[in-house]
Amino acid sequence: MSVVSVTRLWGRAAAVAALTLGLACKREERRFNASYPSPPAYAAVTLDTLQPGVPSPEITVNSPSEGNAYDIAQGKQLFAQWNCSGCHSHGGGGMGPPLMDNEWIYGSSPENIVATIVEGRPNGMPSFRNRIANNQLWQLAAYVRSMSGLQAKAPSPGRNDEMQYKVDEQRTPIRTPRASSSRNVPAKSERP
Amino acid sequence: MTWAGSIFDTAGPPAERIARLAWFLIIVSAVTYLLVLVATGMAMRRARARRARGELADARPETGKRLTRNVAIAAIATTLLLLVFVTATALTNKAIAWPLNAQQPLTIEVTGNQWWWQFRYRDSVPSNWLTTSNELHIPVGRPVRVILLSNDVIHSFWIPELHGKQDVIPGHRNTTWIQADRPGAWKARCAEFCGLQHAKMAFDVVAESPAQFDRWYESQLASAQPPTDSSAKHGHDVFMQRTCIMCHAISGTEAGSSVGPELTHIASRPSIAAGTLPNTRENLGRWILNPQLIKPGVRMPPNALPPAEMNALLDYLETLK
Amino acid sequence: MTDRRATRYRSPTYVAARTAVAFLALAAVGTGCTAGSEQTANATTTQPRAAASGTVGTDTLVARSGVGAGKITIPGAEPEDGQWVRPAKDYASTRFSGLDQITTANAAQLKLAWSFSTGVLRGQEAAPLVVGSTMYVVTPYPNFLYALDLTKPGAPAKWKYEPQPLAAAQGVACCDVVNRGAAFADGKVFYNTLDNQTVAVDATTGKEVWRTQLGDINHGETITMAPLVVKSKVLVGNSGGELGIRGWLTALDAKTGKVAWRAYHTGPDSLVLIGARFKPFYKSDQGKDLGVSSWPPDKWKQGGAGAWGWISYDAALNLIYYGTANPGPWNAEQRPGDNKWSSTTFARDPDTGEAVWAYQVTPHDLHDYDGINESILLDLPWKGQTRRVMVRPERDGYVYVQDRTSGEVLAADTFGVVNSTLGIDLQTGRPTVNKEKEPQMGKVVRQICPASPGTKDWQPSAFSPRTGLLYIPHQNLCMDAESIEANYIAGTPYVGMNVKMYAGPGGHRGEFDAWDPIARKKVWSVKENFPVWSGALVTAGDVVFYGTMDGWFRALDARSGQLLWQSKLGSGIIGQPITYRGPDGKQYVAILAGVGGWSGAIVAAGIDARDSSAALGFANAMRDLPNATTKGGTLYVFGLP
Repeated sequence: MSVVSVTRLWGRAAAVAALTLGLACKREERRFNASYPSPPAYAAVTLDTLQPGVPSPEITVNSPSEGNAYDIAQGKQLFAQWNCSGCHSHGGGGMGPPLMDNEWIYGSSPENIVATIVEGRPNGMPSFRNRIANNQLWQLAAYVRSMSGLQAKAPSPGRNDEMQYKVDEQRTPIRTPRASSSRNVPAKSERP
Repeated sequence: MTWAGSIFDTAGPPAERIARLAWFLIIVSAVTYLLVLVATGMAMRRARARRARGELADARPETGKRLTRNVAIAAIATTLLLLVFVTATALTNKAIAWPLNAQQPLTIEVTGNQWWWQFRYRDSVPSNWLTTSNELHIPVGRPVRVILLSNDVIHSFWIPELHGKQDVIPGHRNTTWIQADRPGAWKARCAEFCGLQHAKMAFDVVAESPAQFDRWYESQLASAQPPTDSSAKHGHDVFMQRTCIMCHAISGTEAGSSVGPELTHIASRPSIAAGTLPNTRENLGRWILNPQLIKPGVRMPPNALPPAEMNALLDYLETLK
Repeated sequence: MTDRRATRYRSPTYVAARTAVAFLALAAVGTGCTAGSEQTANATTTQPRAAASGTVGTDTLVARSGVGAGKITIPGAEPEDGQWVRPAKDYASTRFSGLDQITTANAAQLKLAWSFSTGVLRGQEAAPLVVGSTMYVVTPYPNFLYALDLTKPGAPAKWKYEPQPLAAAQGVACCDVVNRGAAFADGKVFYNTLDNQTVAVDATTGKEVWRTQLGDINHGETITMAPLVVKSKVLVGNSGGELGIRGWLTALDAKTGKVAWRAYHTGPDSLVLIGARFKPFYKSDQGKDLGVSSWPPDKWKQGGAGAWGWISYDAALNLIYYGTANPGPWNAEQRPGDNKWSSTTFARDPDTGEAVWAYQVTPHDLHDYDGINESILLDLPWKGQTRRVMVRPERDGYVYVQDRTSGEVLAADTFGVVNSTLGIDLQTGRPTVNKEKEPQMGKVVRQICPASPGTKDWQPSAFSPRTGLLYIPHQNLCMDAESIEANYIAGTPYVGMNVKMYAGPGGHRGEFDAWDPIARKKVWSVKENFPVWSGALVTAGDVVFYGTMDGWFRALDARSGQLLWQSKLGSGIIGQPITYRGPDGKQYVAILAGVGGWSGAIVAAGIDARDSSAALGFANAMRDLPNATTKGGTLYVFGLP
């Protein structure tokens, strides 16, 4: 082995190490004690796209759970444990409407979903006001969005813990919400 | 109550056999180790002497019969020693296998969760099945069959004073047994890394006389009594209308979820948060307000209850004896 | 060398042949399980005489010469009045009409007389009622009641009654927002709303006479069943075994709507109305407060066991018969014990509600085998004497013939593919559970037959005293299941099971069978592609009617199973066909079309079947239904020209 090739090898190893370190630095932070937006923040969210004349600027709430693998995973567990899956199944629906399709009766943005969970909806969605902590509301909403591919691929759950009743959220194709802005829809590059 | 359990502080037959085996292995290993040290020392002395005599100049590796003999002796000795160890271990394993002749074993299903333990006592009458969390009571002198289940990841069930470790595997039923020969109170821990708060996944073990155990069992089987004083009543409503009800169960009330530990007799338990904090009013309040400060990553969320509600809730929880 | 090459060359074929043989053997074993030895024994005589378009095929299993016919009588049978005042037609629940204008000879000429849109596009499971010259139709939620004037051409609506149930009730209705019909008595129409109210409506004016709130949606309760009126008492039971309810049957005073009695189906004897008169036949049903001791502490309070099916009444014995639903949650590991009185048949005194006997069909239910199916009351010859029996084609796949005075099971024979149990022990009355098919936490158990909806769900059978045959609409589904931890949160589902259903052996998902209750075997059987989720109707013209989920309304020869006539309706049929004599003296047949229910939720509720666990696992078995039918809600009435 020549001296040159050894140097090249070391160079490559160093590059790999640097890359690994670099990626490791971007490791997602788990925020166990962060503050999550509380109810007053999303009470002002506009649900309807029909507004007389010129539409007002959208009021949006940034969900801390969007794109956060830990939060989405927590949301997935809560979705089953709190019986969301009893009505919505694992996205296909049953007693409640499907969540893996592109129809969003009460809006697809995280704040819409949180509002739906908190307020309930007249045709059977129970209101969980005061019953679910703020962080868990956003975690649930983030997971619900991942069911129709509305999360980037990387943070979406890559498997089901139980019976293989459907493909995991990572491989679920994007269903761009109908009748709603394209806000909060992941870019192509995020779901290769 | 000791925090660090010791396998030598035995309290039951399996643990005793394991301790005996441990002592045996330690002593035999220690003796062997000493013998090897002595032999090495002698060899070194001999080599130094030979070097002093100038014999080392033509030092060649040993050959011939002598070498073969020495290697053979070493190999046979090692093999024999290992055989003795394996046999001792096998005998111990056999000795601590489930005592088939045991009369009326108590059967307890243990479920590992991130990061707490659930215990379900079986009975021939279904209405006498008892579910508790993070506190295991057993009667002295009676074998206990333990069925191990997991709701999430792999945990390990380990009461050092009573038995060795046994893995708790999701989707698989492991069985082990324990028996306490003397009364005692110990701390047991999860012995398999299971995530963020693996270190704070403990439970209290209490071995007591059969009569005391029966009393305890009866009291735990009872449903929670409805609160009588107004603050506790308010606390009851707080529990039923706030986040608590989504995860916890209190027998005799509407709360029936098993995402988190069951709380029917929380006030009678020595510790909270899976053996993490002594069960005091102050600790309970701190825990409810923000468990993430105590066990970061624990699945219980922060609950920013107004002081009045918090006090009422604590009043209510304290009635759950 | 040549030999070796030859062997090598042949080996794949050989393997294939062996595989095929093994497969055939397996298939044969599978079929053997289905319908007892008769089917295999008569395999050679199988003659698909008229496999109608759409049907998968008709098997005539046994040549029929009217043995037994005429020997069986219906207790309390009344002369045919041409009306249809309760969904099951008579108290014996036979769904047999004495009208005979439509016969096997002229059924082929049936033509649409008129139709009526209910304005509701959910599963239409109700039976229309005909009283005098008025037809009454109940819709799914929002539970409209229409009165149609049969004297006028096209039967225009006389009035519409809107009870305005809470919209939120839709969120706790496990299996579509259906309603199974109304009952007429004393000039009033009685029925239940999804949000747990029983209403009495003046049959002439359409004005509400009373309404009584019986349950609470915040605790998961709904009511979907059709009430039965017995001796001025309206009998109503609740639904919600998937939502942690506590089941009951309640009797209301037909005049005032006041609760006369309520019998719970779990809990202490005093609340189950078990007292001195209670004499169950089998030992395992005897004992004190079994409704408490057969559950883990407190779990009976959320133990399910509603009563959302059918009630029969024997006036001579003064007893009502009905079955209770599945225990909750589905995850059986969370409820060790027999879980009494879930999946149980009760005989009660209608005046006081007292239980006279009970028989738990499925102790410690593992697969959601509700026991709510219809009890058809018959007096039939049995081993040389006439026995007063009830015949129940059950969800667990057996036709039970049971002495209705004592509860003794005389026979229990499979009418579909069953591997979840290995038989019914007639000494103890208990099924022999197949341990291999017991769902477990963290383990997927495959090929459990029948699936959760059972061999037969709510869809009621019919019995003709003329042919002596029972006509059983049912399904042929198996499933994979896995128990998961269920958490009780009031008003939310309490299930704890992942399920994935699919067609059973044979690939067809539905069957319509004629069953001889004396010979205890199938006489003929029509295989249907989709589950047969509609009720059955049989007439004195020896014509039997049923509908399919892809929208075919069929008339078959009651003796041979031969297809006589069929019509494609606007939507899949899951309703109950009825027949009546119109004011013009002619016989008509009416059916509601509108797909839905548990099986049809995939269309009615727009389910996404990419998730095979959707609709409690039923969606997986019905993925092609949206291609075969669309939502609907129309009443069709057919008559001879």
